[in-house]
Amino acid sequence: MKLQLPEDDLVACVACGLCLPACPTYRVTGLEIASPRGRIAAMQAVQLGGAPIDAEFTAAMDACLVCRGCEVACPSSVPFGHLMEAARATLQPRRPAQRRFAEWLGYRLVLPHHGLLLALTWLLAVAQRLRLVPNRFGLPRLSFRSLRTPLDADAHPDVFLFTGCVMDAWQREVHRAALTVMRATGARPGLPGVHGGCCGALHLHAGLDDQARALAKQVIASLPPEGPVVVDSAGCGAAMKDYGRLLDTDGARAFSARVRDFSEWLAEQAPLPLRPSGTTVVVQDPCHLRHVQHAEHAVRTVLRGGYQLVEIDDDGLCCGAGGAYSVTEPSLSAAVRARKVDAIRAAAGDGPFVVASANPGCAMHLAAAGLTVQHPAELVEEALP
Amino acid sequence: MNRVIEVDVEARVAWVEPGVLNLDLSRMVTHLGLHYAPDPSSQQACTIGGNVATNAGGPHCLAAGVTSSHILALDIVLADGSVARLGGLEPDVPGLDLRGCFVGSEGTMGIATRIAVRLQPNPPCVRTLLLDFMSIDAAAATVSAIIAAGIVPSALEMMDARITRAVEDYVRAGYPRDAEAVLLAELDGLPAGVEAAVAVVDRVGREHGARTVRVAADAAERALLWKGRKSAFGAIARIAPDYYLHDAVVPRTRLVEVLHQVYEIAAAHELIVVNVFHAGDGNLHPILVFDARDPGIWDRVHAAGDAIVRACVAAGGVLSGEHGIGLEKRDLMPLVFNVDDLDAQARLRDAFDPDGRANPQKVLPRGSRCGETMRVPEGAWV
Ligand SMILES: Cc1cc2nc3c(=O)[nH]c(=O)nc-3n(C[C@H](O)[C@H](O)[C@H](O)COP(=O)(O)OP(=O)(O)OC[C@H]3O[C@@H](n4cnc5c(N)ncnc54)[C@H](O)[C@@H]3O)c2cc1C
Ligand code: SF4
Ligand code: SF4
Repeated sequence: MKLQLPEDDLVACVACGLCLPACPTYRVTGLEIASPRGRIAAMQAVQLGGAPIDAEFTAAMDACLVCRGCEVACPSSVPFGHLMEAARATLQPRRPAQRRFAEWLGYRLVLPHHGLLLALTWLLAVAQRLRLVPNRFGLPRLSFRSLRTPLDADAHPDVFLFTGCVMDAWQREVHRAALTVMRATGARPGLPGVHGGCCGALHLHAGLDDQARALAKQVIASLPPEGPVVVDSAGCGAAMKDYGRLLDTDGARAFSARVRDFSEWLAEQAPLPLRPSGTTVVVQDPCHLRHVQHAEHAVRTVLRGGYQLVEIDDDGLCCGAGGAYSVTEPSLSAAVRARKVDAIRAAAGDGPFVVASANPGCAMHLAAAGLTVQHPAELVEEALP
Repeated sequence: MNRVIEVDVEARVAWVEPGVLNLDLSRMVTHLGLHYAPDPSSQQACTIGGNVATNAGGPHCLAAGVTSSHILALDIVLADGSVARLGGLEPDVPGLDLRGCFVGSEGTMGIATRIAVRLQPNPPCVRTLLLDFMSIDAAAATVSAIIAAGIVPSALEMMDARITRAVEDYVRAGYPRDAEAVLLAELDGLPAGVEAAVAVVDRVGREHGARTVRVAADAAERALLWKGRKSAFGAIARIAPDYYLHDAVVPRTRLVEVLHQVYEIAAAHELIVVNVFHAGDGNLHPILVFDARDPGIWDRVHAAGDAIVRACVAAGGVLSGEHGIGLEKRDLMPLVFNVDDLDAQARLRDAFDPDGRANPQKVLPRGSRCGETMRVPEGAWV
């Protein structure tokens, strides 16, 4: 078994170390092997130096959050995210059966089948009422009414809201807020047709390329061929903007070019008049918004009119959520989060505050640490006159 | 060991542990109106302990002085496990300056565990200028002329055409892609003095052929220009995947001729060389860039590197400006030091570490001690 990483990308790392401070796992461990440079060196050792793919190598790859903070920091623009995804794709068939079964359940059975996901969510909502779901999971309070009430689309839509899988099941209220705000600008938002479910981002991070490609095709097919596609989950948006590369077709590239993060799209419209509130909002930049989509400024643009915005002084270091990372690497994930929470509290100072997060994974992860987190769409909706 | 232990704002002194990152220290005290002056280009990634050990420099060391000028006291652990404090916070510490010996000793005298650093007040006014030239010579001549005009900028950095383009691809700070060389100059101090100095640099630059002189409009533009300069080493892979960096100092007045030699040596070995360096103090960083997968390349790289270092020394320069000697330049030490110099250095080192346990075999070449026999202590990692 060999790694098959693009060699030119692999040797492009000049080992300067300028990315190290941008790496959350290096920051909390101080270990070279938990740094981007160390991970690239490990990949080079396996692919170019004939080192074995052993448990140590696998662990080093798994401990990466794929937050891609290193990519932005790298002056040579080493495409770290794609290297890591490709390395994981090679490791995938060698995973222990137990893990593969768990992944099959999650990635193949539940996420792509929206009906099943919704049914499970009902069960989860009941379990929540019976206090069977610990708060530390950070699950938002699931509302039966929300689950019962479908989102409504406008006739003759001129823009589309992508609804996704988990987000539609667990945070449908964010979608509702996004639709309200979109209408407030005068737009007529539509929704994806059937099969418009999971975007495949988690599959890609886990190295399940084939499933990711199949889901990408479904998503593209579920939407009409024209009009912006607005995404209110930064992780999904980042993946969908990358469909062009993933599928390598003109159609996919054209689709990717239509994808906008919610705030990015809103910032391109005529500004909405907001009611200024005194609320302090700490802006948390999800990695997939800041490091991948480079659209973090839009969040500030759309919130500025209504809130006192506060910046976190950590150059957008990851919060530790990383898709399924909080489940697969709980202790590292918690250590990275602890650092983030400290930085957020330090930025907010005394007094009440809300954290704005454009990604459901980050929002849940931070909420589980006791913070109040809202999506920019919800904050804008609340400030509408 | 990555905590800032205490900051005395009045005395402008901070006690830090050696693992504190250079840039983090400045960021932590910026709300007090202070900063830590030495700013190696690696400052976001390198530690105060590493800076002490290599006596690191940086763009802003031209006026502020290198690390040694900013270290007041050190708590160290010697190879035999004993601890000592070198230097002190009082202005004139009695006795030999052992602190000065330790700074720059590259870990060969023990391990620093607590470091007292001097903090500088942030200047009230800062201006950053970007000058671009259609020849390397014009840029290099401008460097000497600025200093000869009586201005010591807080920083004066030069980049050649290739590296400027690579950097611009990354930062998009508006570095001119068609220039043969650019100079980045920074002036700080009281507003009136700074404006006067800006005018001098502008005039001297234009007299020496600067095509444009751009003054950064605000802090954001300034930060972006600096980000470009400080990313230069990291951006090399945009030219070729591997690099071999040299670090030598030449007298400022001989910059033009040494730069010519550097380009000629690289061409003779069929290698690409790029230059990005602390021009103000003549600290050259010729970088040979290549692809290590090319067969036989390392021989050429080593031969060219050796010739470059020799050319710098022949021009009256020294082996290292700031990156240190380590293993790489150890065997070149006799180029600048005679037998007696080396023996004295070896005996000084022995006074700290008689068994040679701390970073063994680094810095001083074999045979530095008169009548030396080499031994590697058991368990030492070389
Ligand atoms: C992209 C890039 C740009 C650079 N730019 C500059 C520059 O502008 N100016 C400059 O001077 N250098 C520069 N350097 C070189 C390097 O960053 C500096 O020399 C820096 O001071 C090294 O710090 P470090 O924390 O990385 O130390 P390390 O590399 O970890 O260690 C360096 C040496 O210090 C010793 N050491 C570390 N900690 C201690 C301690 N607590 N006690 C005793 N010995 C110790 C180590 O044993 C080793 O010998 C650059 C390097 C890179 C990669
Ligand atoms: S992707 Fe994130 S966690 Fe992984 S190496 Fe890069 S910075 Fe570190
Ligand atoms: S910044 Fe880029 S080139 Fe430098 S060590 Fe990190 S990945 Fe490698």
